[in-house]
Amino acid sequence: MNEHGKLGTAKKRPGEAMKPDMELALWARAENIAIVRHALGGLGEAFEISDEKLSDIRLAVTEACSNVVVHAYPEDSHAHRGPPDPGHADRGPATPAAKPSARARGWGTMEISATMLADELVIVVRDWGQGIRPRPDSPGLGLGLSLIAALAQTVQLGHDTQEHTEVRMTFALSDEFAEPGSAVPDIAATAVASRPQPLRGTGDGRP
Amino acid sequence: MSDEPAGDRPELADDRARLRLASGPLAGPVLCRVISMVLTRADWPVDRLHDAMLVCDALSAHAPGHAYDGHVTFALAARGDDVELRVEDLSEEGAASLVRDAMLPGVGNVLERIPQSLSVERVDGRSRLVLTLRRG
Repeated sequence: MNEHGKLGTAKKRPGEAMKPDMELALWARAENIAIVRHALGGLGEAFEISDEKLSDIRLAVTEACSNVVVHAYPEDSHAHRGPPDPGHADRGPATPAAKPSARARGWGTMEISATMLADELVIVVRDWGQGIRPRPDSPGLGLGLSLIAALAQTVQLGHDTQEHTEVRMTFALSDEFAEPGSAVPDIAATAVASRPQPLRGTGDGRP
Repeated sequence: MSDEPAGDRPELADDRARLRLASGPLAGPVLCRVISMVLTRADWPVDRLHDAMLVCDALSAHAPGHAYDGHVTFALAARGDDVELRVEDLSEEGAASLVRDAMLPGVGNVLERIPQSLSVERVDGRSRLVLTLRRG
């Protein structure tokens, strides 16, 4: 039994069909990133993740969420159409009917899921926004994606089967396997680790 | 609140936050942190925040034991002075059982005493508990 086995949550093997241990869906707003960070703190407490590793995880996930907040739902995006509920203008549209298409079903939302495997934690940050594409007017500093690649063992960018744009990060929880940014098993992650790629950035490497 | 049936995906309708947790040790630390953050941001007074944490403690202690499929969903929506908290994906009798489990000797039932309102709803063989907490 590893150090997490005593906690009672079924441990999963890589590749096993699974439901995440934690899924959190929020409006993609800057203030909600703090909620994500606190939720990760609870996850760390439950799974007894060391403070050092938890700090890395929080930082990487914060960067991924910031990308969603800043880039996923631009003002001129079709996903942004539809009148917001006038009574709840601070929350975006209140009903699915206000959303113009299935793609915009999760209008302005971000989803964070965390799955604990035997010795690693997989965290996926998803959105229903415009996808990963160059953005000439990006306000980013260009550090986000390379920071994620440096902190996580693997990073994958892409879409899932439901048209979410997703950033999938794997964090080793055992020191034996923890070499951040070095164990990159796939093409997408290799590209990220070796040369910062635009996430939703300027095309010159700034996410 | 939206009236969609309890489902597998954490779809965000008009909820401000939706949290789905595997039954086990996650419910306590994660739920309490998320709700305390939302209420703090809404400028709730500390005594009401403390009351809400008592409710969270009761939910996180007992809700996982009544999960329909090993996961429990908490949907949180702030509206003015009220915060509505729905506990979903409970077994058919799970919501009612959860309320009964919240009895504290000498204190009474935490879920009946603290929230402004409390209701149990049954949807498609599952049940959910809907609580309203009031700021003032």
